[in-house]
Amino acid sequence: MLKYFVIVLAFLFISCGSDDPFNSDSAKNYESTYSPDNSGDFVIIGARILTGTGEDYPSADIWVSNNKIKLVGVDLNYPKDMRLIDATGKWLTPGIIDIHSHMGVYPSPSLRSSSDGNEATDPVTPHVWAEHSVWTQDTQMPLALKGGITTFHVLPGSANLFGGRGVTLKNVWSRTMQGMKFPNAPYTLKMACGENPKRVYGNKNREPSTRMGNVAGYRKAWIQAEKYKEQRGATRDLKLETLAGVLDGEILIQNHCYRGEEMAVMLDIANEFNYKVTTFHHAIEAYKVADLLAKNGVCAAMWADWWGFKHEAFDMVWENVAIVDQANNATGCAIVHSDSPIGIQRLNQEAEKARSAGVRAGFDIPRSRAIQWITKNPAKALGILEEVGTLEPGKMADIVIWDQDPFSVYAKTEKVFIDGLVHYDHEDPSTPKPTDFELGLIKPEENRL
Amino acid sequence: MKKLILLLSMIFSFTVNGEDLLLKGGNVYTAGPGGVLENTDIYIEDGKISKIGKNLNISASRIKDLNGKIVTPGFIAPYSQLGIVEIGAIAETRDDSSKIYSSGLSIVSAFNPHSTLIPYNLRGGITTALSVPSSSGLYAGLASAFSLSSSLEGSLISQDIALFSSISSGEDSRAAKILLLEDSLDVASRVIETDSWSNEKGLPSSSSYSSRDIAALKRVLTREIPLIVRADRASDILFLINFSVEKNIRLIIRGGSEAWMVAKQLANTKTPVILEPINNLPSSFNQLGARLDNASLLEKAGVKILIASHETHNSYLSRQAAGIAVSYGLPWDVALKSLTSNVAEVFGLKKIGMIEIGYKADLIIWGKDPLEISAFAEQIYISGKLMSNESRSTRLRDRYLNLD
Repeated sequence: MLKYFVIVLAFLFISCGSDDPFNSDSAKNYESTYSPDNSGDFVIIGARILTGTGEDYPSADIWVSNNKIKLVGVDLNYPKDMRLIDATGKWLTPGIIDIHSHMGVYPSPSLRSSSDGNEATDPVTPHVWAEHSVWTQDTQMPLALKGGITTFHVLPGSANLFGGRGVTLKNVWSRTMQGMKFPNAPYTLKMACGENPKRVYGNKNREPSTRMGNVAGYRKAWIQAEKYKEQRGATRDLKLETLAGVLDGEILIQNHCYRGEEMAVMLDIANEFNYKVTTFHHAIEAYKVADLLAKNGVCAAMWADWWGFKHEAFDMVWENVAIVDQANNATGCAIVHSDSPIGIQRLNQEAEKARSAGVRAGFDIPRSRAIQWITKNPAKALGILEEVGTLEPGKMADIVIWDQDPFSVYAKTEKVFIDGLVHYDHEDPSTPKPTDFELGLIKPEENRL
Repeated sequence: MKKLILLLSMIFSFTVNGEDLLLKGGNVYTAGPGGVLENTDIYIEDGKISKIGKNLNISASRIKDLNGKIVTPGFIAPYSQLGIVEIGAIAETRDDSSKIYSSGLSIVSAFNPHSTLIPYNLRGGITTALSVPSSSGLYAGLASAFSLSSSLEGSLISQDIALFSSISSGEDSRAAKILLLEDSLDVASRVIETDSWSNEKGLPSSSSYSSRDIAALKRVLTREIPLIVRADRASDILFLINFSVEKNIRLIIRGGSEAWMVAKQLANTKTPVILEPINNLPSSFNQLGARLDNASLLEKAGVKILIASHETHNSYLSRQAAGIAVSYGLPWDVALKSLTSNVAEVFGLKKIGMIEIGYKADLIIWGKDPLEISAFAEQIYISGKLMSNESRSTRLRDRYLNLD
């Protein structure tokens, strides 16, 4: 029976793709199946709202209708029988977005058998896709949800020059990765500068073993991609499909890069091959080239304070995020990211570390701007700002209610909405929905906690 | 040369001890029996707190008005590799492990008071740190306490004061590590009886214990120093509690992800726990019960807790961890003690970690609640000396803030 089923499935698969097997649109076969229930209409009233657009309402309402934000403002004129959620005295922000996560590909528990983030067998692996490694029952995801994370971007690791495609997921419980996949979010491609690729392959006695070897590796691959782009349709090549997608402007470059001078070199390479670097990740030295990044419209995704774990992370300053943000008359694009299942649980606190360091350095950075580092700016850098990242009419109703100022160490989330549906409510112990892994793990009749 | 050092140290001790200092009108969080003292003065002589009171009528050579700012003791990191690790991934900058020694590994002579991590973490509010070797075998080695004064000669506070070990990580199984713990202490105990040590009798041939290693174990068995065991699973912690009672040794648990499950037993045996309250992930099958209210549950049961950061380079983030523990129910005053006086008490550090008369004048002046993210150490005193709040990191910042 099972065998028969598999044969039928395989047949279906072949026949679906058979009209144009070499079409780069084959990605359509891997589309999102995420489809939230209808949230109906409700209004959250009386909260202090940081909209992510730069507004800071001392007390305002937000109207959600059919999974989308309908209106945000003071004294909204809604029907009398409207379902209301009183958030007087609370704070409200857009759902938090982490642009750099390995949830699902480096899950907890951390076991070799499910560490699926680095295809460290060749320095050029743009053909691998992080989504095909995602374990949907990773215990880190519901913990991140409690921290207000509604969308996260899963990247392959940084062992390779080209590590593979990243995927943007909504933080919802699902049996399948496709059920979490952010509908129509652009694909991304992970590239890595510096120590990691040269260490991994240098240790295997092969290229690249130096930073100059890294750069030669990127350029060789882009030359092949240019050729492939010209002759597209002749034969399929998974590696070059992804690279050509970047040259077409459809796949966004997410570039792990610590050092200032390496970021400048990566921008030269992007110019040579006419593609755009969307974001430098782990950009510890972004403050050294903040003007260059602002001028080129490149975002920098940074930690607030991680440093010293390797040489290229030695020059950390607490003011890094603020300096990037304020570059060229405050036109910089700063993002606070986690790269950590601990950090992702409180990106709000990481943003406050960076904000308060910036304020001490003399910059005027209100909360309404700093919240953009973990909402609007990562949405922009992931190509999903049309749908999330700010609280504006027509966008997905991804909303967090905080018990107090989210920039405080004592703040906790009270309710987390994804597309207008409550996925975490501090008063409902059945939320967040525990993963399969957590059922009956410590006591057969209980969840993990 | 010797003369020069003597002269230099005389000059140094003169500058520290010769001046007195009056801190006026602070909101003093003593972390001790004094509790919180509002609008209170602290008078410092010879690097020590000599008077505490309201409107002290003393003419000091230096007077600082605190205008109601919060004063706490300098924080003490209960677990770090400060001074023995510079860059994590670069082995030649690490002095925290050994393949030759186990329980006897002391890092005192390797400690680098000029490590860049020291002024950086001082700026975060840490004035004293336990520097602890971190080998992955059963025994990591001996911890020592250092002042973060960057002083070449005056950094060491207390030498080889605790033996750190782990049964929850490394290459061998927990089962084997527990047996090796028992066997190695048995061998050391026979050495005490016979006062002789012929190499490795009674230990597996693959394990190697020098007389230095056995000497460290003897100090554990005679209760001179505590044995600190990294353990997370509730059943492991329970075994260790019973084992420590049976062997009559001073046990401290580090990690303790599931310590809340055996809180009563920990409290009954007065076993303290060094926590990283921020670690709530079920990262391994030994930590499945990890939770953010662990600190609060332990405190309610009467267990003494010490709060550590989860990373050496940012040892000062123990403050943030304490704040998070508070948001999950730990009383604020207990959180402060977990960063200061509890650490001093558990490691036997004398006259440090509280604002009391006779105590070392390691003090931090804060603009706001020190557990808050945005709190910043405005003034830092070690032994009554105002420390610079510059670091390599601030120098880099200033260069690039003023670029042109």
